[in-house]
Amino acid sequence: MFTTLATLLSHYKRHPGQLAMLLLGLWVASALWSGVQAINASARDSYARAEALFTTGLDRLERRDGQPLTRDDYLRLRRAGLPISPLLEGTLEAPDGTRLTVIGIEPFTLPGDNAFATAGSLSSRPGDLTIFLTPPWQTRVAPDTLPALGVADRQAPGGEPRLVDGRPLPPLVLAPSLPPDTLVMDIAAAAMLLDSGETLSRLVTAPHALDEAPTGLVLSRAATLASPGQLTESFHLNLTAMALLALVVGLFIVQAALGLALEQRLAMLRTLRALGVSGRRLVGLLALELLLLGIIGALAGIVSGVWLARLLLPDVAATLGSLYGAGVTAELNLPWHYWVGGIAVTLGGLFLAGAGVLWRAARLSVLGLGQAQAWRAGFRRQLTFMTLAGALVALTGLVLWAWLAGQPPGEGLLAGFGLMAALLLASALWLPPLLAAFIAALERLARRRPLAQWALADLQLQLPRLSLAMMALLIALSANLGVSSMVGGFRLTFLDWLDQRLVADLYLRPPAEQFEEIETWLGERREVAERLPTRRIEATLYEVKRGGNTRDLALPTHLYGITPGDALMPSWPLLDTLAGRDAAWQAFGGGEAFINEQLAISEGLTPGDRLTLSAPRGQEQATVVAVYPDYGNTQGEVLFATAQLASRFGAPPGSIGIVLAAGADEAALGQALSQHFGLGSDSLVDQREVKRIATGIFERTFTITRALSALTLGVAALALLASLLAQARERRRQLAPLWALGIPRAQLVQVQLGQLGGAALVTGALAIPLGIVLALGLVAVINVAAFGWRLPLFLFPMEIALTLATAVAVALLATALPAITLWRTPPRALLAEEVNT
Amino acid sequence: MSGTRLVVIPLTLLWLASCDTGRDGAAPGEPAGFAGLGEEAGDFAQAHEGITLRFPEDHAAHPDYRIEWWYLTANLEDDRGEPLGLQWTLFRQALTPPGERPESTPWAADQLWMAHMAVSRGETHRVAERFARSHSDDDLEERDGQAGARAEPFRAWIDHWQLASHIETSDETSDDEPDTDTFDELELTAHQDDEYGGFGYDLTLTAEGPLVLHGENGFSQKSADGQGSMSSGSMSSGSMSSGSMYYSQPFWRIEGEVTLDGETRTVSGRGWLDREWSSQLLGAEQRGWDWFSLHLDSGYKLMAFRLRGGATDGGDYRSGTWISPEGEPTALTPDEIHMEPLGTRQAAGREVPTRWRLEIPRAELDLIVEAPHAERWMDTSVPYWEGEVVARDADSGENRGVGYLEMTDY
Amino acid sequence: MLEFRQVHKSYATPQGPLQVLDGIDLRLAAGESLALMGESGSGKSTLLHLAAGLDLPEAGEVSVAGQAISSLDEPARARLRRDTLGLVFQQFHLVPSLNVGDNLRLQARLARRCDPEWAAHLIERLGLSGMEKRYPEQLSGGQQQRLAIGRALAPRPALLLADEPTGNLDETSADEVLGLLLSLVSESGSALLMVTHSSQVAAPLDRCLRLTHGRLGPVDEREASHR
Repeated sequence: MFTTLATLLSHYKRHPGQLAMLLLGLWVASALWSGVQAINASARDSYARAEALFTTGLDRLERRDGQPLTRDDYLRLRRAGLPISPLLEGTLEAPDGTRLTVIGIEPFTLPGDNAFATAGSLSSRPGDLTIFLTPPWQTRVAPDTLPALGVADRQAPGGEPRLVDGRPLPPLVLAPSLPPDTLVMDIAAAAMLLDSGETLSRLVTAPHALDEAPTGLVLSRAATLASPGQLTESFHLNLTAMALLALVVGLFIVQAALGLALEQRLAMLRTLRALGVSGRRLVGLLALELLLLGIIGALAGIVSGVWLARLLLPDVAATLGSLYGAGVTAELNLPWHYWVGGIAVTLGGLFLAGAGVLWRAARLSVLGLGQAQAWRAGFRRQLTFMTLAGALVALTGLVLWAWLAGQPPGEGLLAGFGLMAALLLASALWLPPLLAAFIAALERLARRRPLAQWALADLQLQLPRLSLAMMALLIALSANLGVSSMVGGFRLTFLDWLDQRLVADLYLRPPAEQFEEIETWLGERREVAERLPTRRIEATLYEVKRGGNTRDLALPTHLYGITPGDALMPSWPLLDTLAGRDAAWQAFGGGEAFINEQLAISEGLTPGDRLTLSAPRGQEQATVVAVYPDYGNTQGEVLFATAQLASRFGAPPGSIGIVLAAGADEAALGQALSQHFGLGSDSLVDQREVKRIATGIFERTFTITRALSALTLGVAALALLASLLAQARERRRQLAPLWALGIPRAQLVQVQLGQLGGAALVTGALAIPLGIVLALGLVAVINVAAFGWRLPLFLFPMEIALTLATAVAVALLATALPAITLWRTPPRALLAEEVNT
Repeated sequence: MSGTRLVVIPLTLLWLASCDTGRDGAAPGEPAGFAGLGEEAGDFAQAHEGITLRFPEDHAAHPDYRIEWWYLTANLEDDRGEPLGLQWTLFRQALTPPGERPESTPWAADQLWMAHMAVSRGETHRVAERFARSHSDDDLEERDGQAGARAEPFRAWIDHWQLASHIETSDETSDDEPDTDTFDELELTAHQDDEYGGFGYDLTLTAEGPLVLHGENGFSQKSADGQGSMSSGSMSSGSMSSGSMYYSQPFWRIEGEVTLDGETRTVSGRGWLDREWSSQLLGAEQRGWDWFSLHLDSGYKLMAFRLRGGATDGGDYRSGTWISPEGEPTALTPDEIHMEPLGTRQAAGREVPTRWRLEIPRAELDLIVEAPHAERWMDTSVPYWEGEVVARDADSGENRGVGYLEMTDY
Repeated sequence: MLEFRQVHKSYATPQGPLQVLDGIDLRLAAGESLALMGESGSGKSTLLHLAAGLDLPEAGEVSVAGQAISSLDEPARARLRRDTLGLVFQQFHLVPSLNVGDNLRLQARLARRCDPEWAAHLIERLGLSGMEKRYPEQLSGGQQQRLAIGRALAPRPALLLADEPTGNLDETSADEVLGLLLSLVSESGSALLMVTHSSQVAAPLDRCLRLTHGRLGPVDEREASHR
């Protein structure tokens, strides 16, 4: 048994390059997997940070008389059993002038799922909390705030940078999930830095932990100012889908590398069978070999995947650190499921790829010894099989699609993924037959050009070996295209959505009892160009009238009031209108309604339908004049002009968006506001800052996703290179007679480049429609199935051209190495290979 | 996530975690013993033989010691005759040694408080946990923090959970007449909202016997003689044999109301309050303990525990007190106690010994002590098992009493 | 047509340099045929490769059709092979991706000298009629070698170099293939240099030389008697 295994492995001693290539394939596949995992983790973290910016997710209590709360208030309320926590907030100036937000928390009472509490901050290691709580305390800070503090990344942990006034901060601890320019520390340390004495900024409590405000206090519910909510979830889902695609590419590589390594040993296997090794033992030993290689490759891949991710994105390491404990940066101390997952994926792919070969090894005919391979007939059969299998898969996809079309939105996510998978698989399966047919057609045209004819015929001959790599390239390219158009589209959508929801420069949430007063006051200020008050209320949608038909519903619905002013109307997107944009806004101002896409899709409503809604004075009716996209939302929403919502539905006052006049002094406005009305410091929010920071955070995630798709493409290139290298020797043997017939090597090299470049071009050209369909599937099928709304599809011609160019470049690059070998091989050696065969 | 979330941050092992680790050069690593209780005392005050306990002062917090607790367990019966158990514990831990306390600026803290409450009936076991910070100067200034423990009149509290004296003090009585200790009549109030409708209690505790000092006049040794000082004494001057100041009030009669899953019932029964403070409770090698407190039908009370690991021979260290119905304690030496787990059951996915044989030949006691319900796991930041037990005669199987069992590090 | 002047060639081996050709002088006139005999490993194939410009001599000069091989660069040598030479290998070396017809015409078309009538004639003479659409691996060994001969002769090369053209064939097909080769060579008017180890194969050629220890000499008596 040992002898047999040694014999099997001796192949690699003679061909170390092949072993290297196989390991490389396995390595890259699992590196990709773990890299994607790391990048995903980082992306998830980015959302959390963005969320933290929009809202702390906490209800808050302030004094009705506008005076600051004190520690005694806090203790009194705690003793009364109220689950509140003190929060101290203020600004400090960094040496470079950056305004830093200092947040002092009381970790024992702070609700646990709050952004600041969970911000990767307090680890579970004993002693950490003591250090956080006692002098010299700690400053939790995100790595991207370090430059403002004048600290280099390496010196950051434990560093005590000084503020502009010379006072040192408590020693730094990195917490990547915190928003930028935010310092989180113990409330005692914050109180000293901010010199706030016994006073508090506010008391906070978990959302809806309190039913009503205690006497003398005002309770403000967690403001969902503009939570990206589902938008980020959708993005994450799409990322996951793309990560799965990357995995498929990785598996293709394993399959390619393995198929070649085993195929070349078929003769040896036959000999071993002839020498009396049983088929079962042979298969067992081959499986053992696969297992060995798989484990080595997978382990190396996981380690280097994390390394790679860290190299691509310095933030990733920090994120992993906060997700999995502090060990990641120093030593690779990932949780077990990370390793097991990586190994399982690689081994799974390996055995999937190896199964065919093992099966062949098991049925190997001893008599086949030395028999010439009837590759031509075999390949034809294979092409036929691929065409048929592809058709079957495509049919399955069609069935799924038809089934999905009949499903209500928000359902059939699995079928949606199935549809995507079917689409990809069918395309991959159809690629070799398509390429073969294409080459055959060209060959007919090239009758008069012997070298071209030979080149095409030769490409046809190489196709069985190349097809797997080309399939990987196709999937990688279309994934790349799909990602770039999905991510690009998502980015635009996100920016649009920010514009839509954060139209005003400042955002004010006045207490209800002061709403009217403040609004009037604002109207008289010169700094204020426009006021955009909003209101919200819940109502029941009783019936929908379309033409003469009336449909009864009893649907609880959210009504939202916006102010259709000059600032808002241009940036509020509309998907579908009854009679054009202008008419829609005019009708809207006159009391008609807009509905969001979620409501339109789930209830099948279209512009022109007449809604009957519950109202304090019986019922109110309104015609749907437009449908608008509402990406972050989960529920149906009916939009009215704020004034209408107040008068007809009795909606309570909400917030006021303030559009500043050109050159207005917002600081003065803010001061005047708090002086006049005693408003808390956080009731006035500068949305421009929020927008800027949110955009910054998301840009990083987009970069990450691009890195992911570039990685996928790189891997596909490697697969191609692997297949080409693996058959380089045989290729040279096939080229030698041509050289002997009088074709210079330079020309042979050119022909080879032309062959592969052409094949890649065709593959790339096929990848374009596939990529577009893929992106469409993601935004219009997967997203609808998961969330009930579509993301708009954006196409980026430059990206498409770039992808096509990349495909050809990748192929040329992959051809270049074997071609250079050919170019540099002395004729004698070529001949020797030929003669020695 | 609606409702109150009490556990704030991953706080595992935080309350007793050493504050010395990584601070004064000691190598950071595994905390020694269960929840760091085996850490060396360092610059903290140290429990030792010869300390005279003084009441009511010693009912209050001892911030110079590393850890301390007010630990009440009760075996009750409700108006329908159903047995019911409850626990209310206030833990204190010093964040810094007395010499390193931060200035008493607003919010600054040197003491960390944690409280556990549990109500158990049948298979139901509800647990809640709270945390707070305080500064020991608050006590000097008679300022009430979020949590604390005062002697005169007695009051131990965290937020709205409170164990406080029922007796009004007048200036003349307190000092020279120990019989009117405000500790003799207490009220316990604690309530918690949860997804099952809430639980909690309002109880009156009346002492029907005296305080009982364990060990040598209240010094309870926790490892074999000299073991701690010999092994590590040469390394650190402050190191001494591990032990604690330990007294109990095992004679509570309890009346009141208990709410479980939103339903309130009248209850009555017996309670046991342990008071203990120390700076090094366990020897460095000791990992956890099994602790019994039993109310025997004969009127006797028994406290017995074993600390696992770390005895001279690598075995367990056992100790206990046999308490007469009049409250006369007899300290039990390690060889006078025989305890042996007989069977384990699953609790929160762990194998926990819920059936024991407990033999005290000197008191002619041979008992099988068993928890009727195994699911008494305290899934708190420092997790452990704590639940009611029933004691039966090992030979006849007759009921001999009820009590509580606490087991750590399983 | 072909001339070797004091040609030397050696190969590096682990045991030191091995002198394969040690001062070869050889002349072959247009239309002449020459058999080159010798034991295996005697350097016959090396000599043939030098003649084809597939390799270069260390010393001395090889010229083909009046052009000194060493004065030509690689592409020029390739052009020389394409335009002037025809090669027949022991292993046939057909192009597997092309069918019989395309294989046969390949070199002629590369040299832009494809004469359809001559090609059709060759196919008929080589007994490959009706097999033009087949692929090389669908032919028997003899048929493959006949196709290789046809491919080499299709451009009517001035010089045909054949390396053991019948070495892979059984005796009957070998005789048949050899007869065909000789008659077609004379039809096309090509000169022929054929490497063989069989005196029987060498016999019908105009001249015969033996390569021993890197030097050329006449065939010995016993072999000569066969003639």
